Amino acid sequence: MTLTRRLLLGSAGALAGAALPGSQADAQSRLSVGVVLIGPVGDFGWSHMHDQGRRRMAEVLGDRVAATTVESVAPPDFDRVVTQLVRTGHRLIFTTSFSYFAPTQRIAPQHPGVFFENATGPTMLPNMAIYNARFYEGRYIQGVIAARKSRTKTIGYVATFPVPEVIHAINTVMRGAWSVDPAMKVRVVWVNAWSNPAREADAARALIDQGCDVLCSHTDGPAPLQLANERGIFGFGQASDMTRFAPRAHLTSSVNNWGDYYAERAQAVIAGTWQPKDTWGGLGSGMFRMAPWTNMTPEEVSEAERIRDAIASGRLHPFEGPIVRQDGTAVIPAGQRLDDNQIRAQNYFYQGIDASIPG
Amino acid sequence: MRLVLETRSQTPPALALGAPLLAVALTLVSAVLIFAALGQDPWRALQVYFIAPVSDSWGLQEVAVKATPLVLISVGLSLCYRSNNWNIGAEGQFLVGAMAGGWLALATHGAPNGPWLMPAMLAAGAAGGALFALIPAVLRTRFGANEILTSLMLVYVAELLLDWLVRGPWRDPQGFNMPVTVSFEPEAIVPLLLEGGRLNVGTPIALLVVVLAAVLVGRTLKGVEIRLVGEAPRAARFAGFDTNRLTLTVFAISGGLAGLAGVLEAAGTVKMLQPGLSPGYGFTAIIVAFLGRLNPVGCLVAGVFLAITFIGGENAQIMLRMPLDATRVIQGLLLFYVLACDTLLLYRPRLVASTPA
Repeated sequence: MTLTRRLLLGSAGALAGAALPGSQADAQSRLSVGVVLIGPVGDFGWSHMHDQGRRRMAEVLGDRVAATTVESVAPPDFDRVVTQLVRTGHRLIFTTSFSYFAPTQRIAPQHPGVFFENATGPTMLPNMAIYNARFYEGRYIQGVIAARKSRTKTIGYVATFPVPEVIHAINTVMRGAWSVDPAMKVRVVWVNAWSNPAREADAARALIDQGCDVLCSHTDGPAPLQLANERGIFGFGQASDMTRFAPRAHLTSSVNNWGDYYAERAQAVIAGTWQPKDTWGGLGSGMFRMAPWTNMTPEEVSEAERIRDAIASGRLHPFEGPIVRQDGTAVIPAGQRLDDNQIRAQNYFYQGIDASIPG
Repeated sequence: MRLVLETRSQTPPALALGAPLLAVALTLVSAVLIFAALGQDPWRALQVYFIAPVSDSWGLQEVAVKATPLVLISVGLSLCYRSNNWNIGAEGQFLVGAMAGGWLALATHGAPNGPWLMPAMLAAGAAGGALFALIPAVLRTRFGANEILTSLMLVYVAELLLDWLVRGPWRDPQGFNMPVTVSFEPEAIVPLLLEGGRLNVGTPIALLVVVLAAVLVGRTLKGVEIRLVGEAPRAARFAGFDTNRLTLTVFAISGGLAGLAGVLEAAGTVKMLQPGLSPGYGFTAIIVAFLGRLNPVGCLVAGVFLAITFIGGENAQIMLRMPLDATRVIQGLLLFYVLACDTLLLYRPRLVASTPA
């Protein structure tokens, strides 16, 4: 299976390579796009979907773009990889991890003629845009489904780093769960990695042993979901449709779709209209969708779809007040909702979440 | 007919030179086959993989930056391994060095600090690595604890300590909760050698260390002691050498060099402390030490060569759009062939007629 994939990748690379020397004139006008990945393309999750996005961009723009993927770039190697991309003529570079935010901010000013795009950083520069999807919308739906499915009333959350993005995801899972049953609880394990299948599985094991019977995960691959399948509990896929990794455990996945955004941004560079902008697309924008509902009753499916549509159309907002911090201080009263900056700055758990932020 | 390996009484000098060349030749042949199977033009691929990284000033600088920690660590390890002291924990000593030097950078952060800071950080890094390496050394000399296990397990201690520090007391308050420290101040960053590149004074330090280690091994009594203890421990005892003291010495040297590499990497290349500070330099350096035949100059050559294959692999991804896995296969093949060809140094392969059992 892996071998087949390698061969496929290899032959895809061969085609790209064969196409290169063909027409020099075209190569001049063709935009080279670099995609820097934090994990392997074969993680079947986060990095995999960014690579799918690159493919989608190439489909849409055809031979107006040539795209390069560099896999598993550790932050200490980041500067060299990006410099080499710039030196080999790449003019649009997607750096696809929050871990690359600070390094991208550092290196972008050194290459003023190159356009950088970082997922999922918080601030921009004249030649650096940021993009992200409102994954928390999917988290709210996960919380609702988890509350319907759980017998032990405890959700397990395999978390990555305690960055605001992950913290607000945990908050919204619980918001969704409490909308069904206020007695729901969450347990959190921080694995301190975006992609580390062994540690992800260890974390999942620990959570299941502590009585969690529905697993959410924030890491890049399917390892926690596979463990859920093995242990006979439920779980959610992350980034791609992970049904095939856990046919009995999988409930739904949030499936990322970066390709249309990549095509749009590459087109903007070609047309000379690229501007730094802050893109944060939700369910309504198509930047991600909820994958097939599996192992759910028809009633559960229709409830999940109803909530999904309400969020997509803006009728339901996961960050409505009242919101109270874990320590009891009020954030906003009833009737208000958090604005985007407040959502991004969430550095606290909600009251009722029995977990702590490390550090 | 079957193939047997006979022990050689002596290694022919031509073979000592020929074996690594044979390994490189076999790697090149295999690489050509792999490139061809992936549909690449083999010559262009070889050029991108092995030549492009060293074909201009920027590439050479990057090779030097990547090779510097490998060379520093492996030179220290070669002294250990020659004298039969199995320090497997250089990765941990590297991290402790980075933490010790980084602590100075963080303690002076935002406060006016002078030209003394950088030398002090390097000294603190070396001292931290040396002290951390002395733990398994003392455990061995005092209690006879196996240093392979203790030094390896201390790697995890160092990793977790760094993890805790950057997520707790040393975390950048403006860092969105990411487990990183603040970026070091300019005074706490290893000075560059050339404008516009990333080559810093760490590289000449590593070259100096190679020269000093070569002199130590080849020209001093200590060098004789190191070699004798490794090759003939009983004879070394009769000669009056104190093996326990030697264990402490070589562990301190190799830990100190690993710690120096750690602080150079933290303050030179990464410019902050973070959990993924080392992409396994401490372990890769073990391979470098053996590829370099436990000889300081050999470590230099092997370190540079391995650095080229790392960067060549990245180039192949960027310029040929080859998958990462293919580039790693080539690196793995190289190591495999080098070790396989080394067998020829000690053994003579011979075909013999099979005899009935």
